[in-house]
Amino acid sequence: MERTFARGLDSLDAIFGYLSERIEALELDPGSGFAVNMAVEELFTNMVKYNRSGTGGISIAVSGQPDGVEIRMVDFDSEPFDITSMAEVDTSAPLEARRPGGLGIHLVRCLMDEVQYEYKSRRTSIRLFKNRP
Amino acid sequence: MLQIDRESDHVRIAGRFDAGQVEVASRVFDTLDSTTTVKCEGLDYISSAGLSVLLHTQQRLSKTGHGLRLAGLNPHVRLVFEYAGLDAIFAIQ
Repeated sequence: MERTFARGLDSLDAIFGYLSERIEALELDPGSGFAVNMAVEELFTNMVKYNRSGTGGISIAVSGQPDGVEIRMVDFDSEPFDITSMAEVDTSAPLEARRPGGLGIHLVRCLMDEVQYEYKSRRTSIRLFKNRP
Repeated sequence: MLQIDRESDHVRIAGRFDAGQVEVASRVFDTLDSTTTVKCEGLDYISSAGLSVLLHTQQRLSKTGHGLRLAGLNPHVRLVFEYAGLDAIFAIQ
């Protein structure tokens, strides 16, 4: 159920393949499936982008729970980067003031019902939960 | 994988617009110099990386009074634009 992927954008196709298998196996509705893809991509690319010096891969597990779907992601060699304490993105700013930074985490917060972050001994663990509709 | 085709009066995108597709997409969007319709009927998925390409293009085109028109967004993709507050930035048909 859990799979580890090399730290790099080249892993995205393999990650989407794994997510597709899990979404089908768990019989998720299209909206939940879309949200799982987006949350994993946004967090994985963040881990790659902001922790280029980390060694080893990043593990991803998508599992079904009675009332929804749970995603767990672990970066085993990372610096602290608390996605739950980032400032909110101003989604009402005019075009010229818009910056893409932070948009990915903002979307994860919008699409997921629970976002939990833990950092210990260079290990970043993120748990996400999406309720069944 | 993202399929992207530039026609004389529009751009058509289909498939997945994820972080791995930014380079190939930018090569097309960077060539646009006037108001252009982006036909998205076949677009299954877009992440913040894809949104950034569109936003960058919109900011560049707006300096000359032009912009992107987005057509045929599926409900999931449209919801992403709404969550990002980009439904007020792009003309969505």
